[in-house]
Amino acid sequence: MSLTENRLTSFLAPPWRQYTATILMVGIVTLVCYLLERSVGYQTLALIYLLAVVLVALVVGRIPTLLGAALGALIWDYIFVPPRFSFHIDELYDKMMVATYYIVAIVIGDLTTRLREHQEAAMKAKLLSESERLGRTLLNSVSHEFRTPISAIVGAVDNLRAEGGLSAAHNEFIDEIDSAGARLNRVVQSLLSAARLQAGQLQPRMDWCEARDVVRASVHESARLLNGHPVETKIAPGHHLAKMDFVLMQQAVSNLIANAAVHTPPGTPIKISARFEGKELLLQVADHGPGLPPGEVERVFEMFHRLPNSKPGGTGLGLAIVKGFVEAQGGRVCAGNGVDGGAVFNIFLPASDKPELPEEAS
Amino acid sequence: MNETVTRGEEISALIIDDEPQMQRLVTSILEPNGYRVATASTGQEGLATAAQHRHDLILLDLGLPDVGGIAVLRQIREWTQTPIVILTVHDSEPEKIEALDSGADDYVTKPFNTGELLARLRTALRHADKGKVEEPVLQFGTLTVNLATRLVTRENRAVKLTSTEYALLRLFVQHAGKVLTHRQILREVWGPEHELKTQYLRVYVQRLRDKLEPDPDAPAFFLTESGIGYRFFAS
Repeated sequence: MSLTENRLTSFLAPPWRQYTATILMVGIVTLVCYLLERSVGYQTLALIYLLAVVLVALVVGRIPTLLGAALGALIWDYIFVPPRFSFHIDELYDKMMVATYYIVAIVIGDLTTRLREHQEAAMKAKLLSESERLGRTLLNSVSHEFRTPISAIVGAVDNLRAEGGLSAAHNEFIDEIDSAGARLNRVVQSLLSAARLQAGQLQPRMDWCEARDVVRASVHESARLLNGHPVETKIAPGHHLAKMDFVLMQQAVSNLIANAAVHTPPGTPIKISARFEGKELLLQVADHGPGLPPGEVERVFEMFHRLPNSKPGGTGLGLAIVKGFVEAQGGRVCAGNGVDGGAVFNIFLPASDKPELPEEAS
Repeated sequence: MNETVTRGEEISALIIDDEPQMQRLVTSILEPNGYRVATASTGQEGLATAAQHRHDLILLDLGLPDVGGIAVLRQIREWTQTPIVILTVHDSEPEKIEALDSGADDYVTKPFNTGELLARLRTALRHADKGKVEEPVLQFGTLTVNLATRLVTRENRAVKLTSTEYALLRLFVQHAGKVLTHRQILREVWGPEHELKTQYLRVYVQRLRDKLEPDPDAPAFFLTESGIGYRFFAS
């Protein structure tokens, strides 16, 4: 049997209704006891009051339950326990009976409400996780729906190119379709990432990663967008291990690289470095562009925010995704201008934990 | 691109994918490359087809509408070791790992390019070919690994490896071209009790790169598979 009757609980949501219901219940029980008193004796009536307390506890909160228990004890004492119609109790065993009743009523009332609260909390959690699961399923199916036609476009173009024998003009068209397909794929990726962030559906899988690997994978991922910008990577020898979600960090750093490639003059280098700074791992992307205008430093990571006079194209999501992904991993981002001009974007990840490493000389 | 297949006969491949467009695309890539292709649109149909006919290879989409792709994979793995390559999308790394740890041989992420798909399939077929003779000496560019004598040379000069480094290298070269998950590698080299210690792997892969890669900063052999594991690249 379920401890909660949904309709009844929602009817009893306002506190005044709970108190009224409790008092009503004690009243009805008193009436029943009055009728039964002759055949069962006044001591058995205490059990009927206890039953009433349990029933009340199933539907009302803790305080009305305690009120019901106290009210029941007082009325029982006053009306039924000899001498009748007096709070005075003559016999020791009656005194003990009242005391026992009162303690049992409080304990039962408390246990029942606690049980009910647990059940309600579990139900709420279940509902929440179900809506989360629904959201995730929806995002996954949207991802699948977009990726399939994009795969068909990219794959078909690849096939066409492989067959060869096309004119130069046709090859140009093919390149156009190919780069449009790749761009579409990136936009879908950005939109899905932003949607996951907004829906709170991001669950970073934190594990030990080497910053060197992340930087390399990010450069590789953004290779197509570099547009002739040379990339200079600077990472001191030795390990740069920190806990992070590799895939999210890779996308964050490649978004920074892509951002630099878009907003700086062609041919200017993009510098990427990684190093420990205090108890944090710093991943830095610095460019040789015009830098960030005053007042923009705080706003660049906002969703859909775009720099004044920036080139068309781009979704305005890239840097917001960087911030969201990094913060989801317990890190922080900041932007500024370098000493020799150019914008600098920093990702800081907590790195106070040190990995336990195997002992073997290399 | 359309390279000739070394086997005399056609390779039979089963594609289990609910999207007709993907079925057509993969078929059009595989057929000119020496594959005979059968298709199934649901997990149930795929399981039935796989049971009726023997296929050399199965391409399985993880996003099936009826039975989940992972469930299909596990059911197929209950009775056959036919190589299975899964088709999946970006952002689904936990799913990929689950599939690989459940017996999938490799994966391809949509959108994929033709060369990548064919390379994955070739690798999966090669590793499934139990009849082949194990060569004791493996050559990868400037790197030579002699599995019989445990001698590893780079540009004809012997390289000294610790026993753990060698165990890791041997695992990689024996699975050349195939993706290995962190867990698979850790279980194999360090034992099941260390299967979650990814940091060991990060350190040792870096050591192997420093000792064996022509340019450790631009690895050509020990490739990182983001969020999944590693792949020893064999061109």
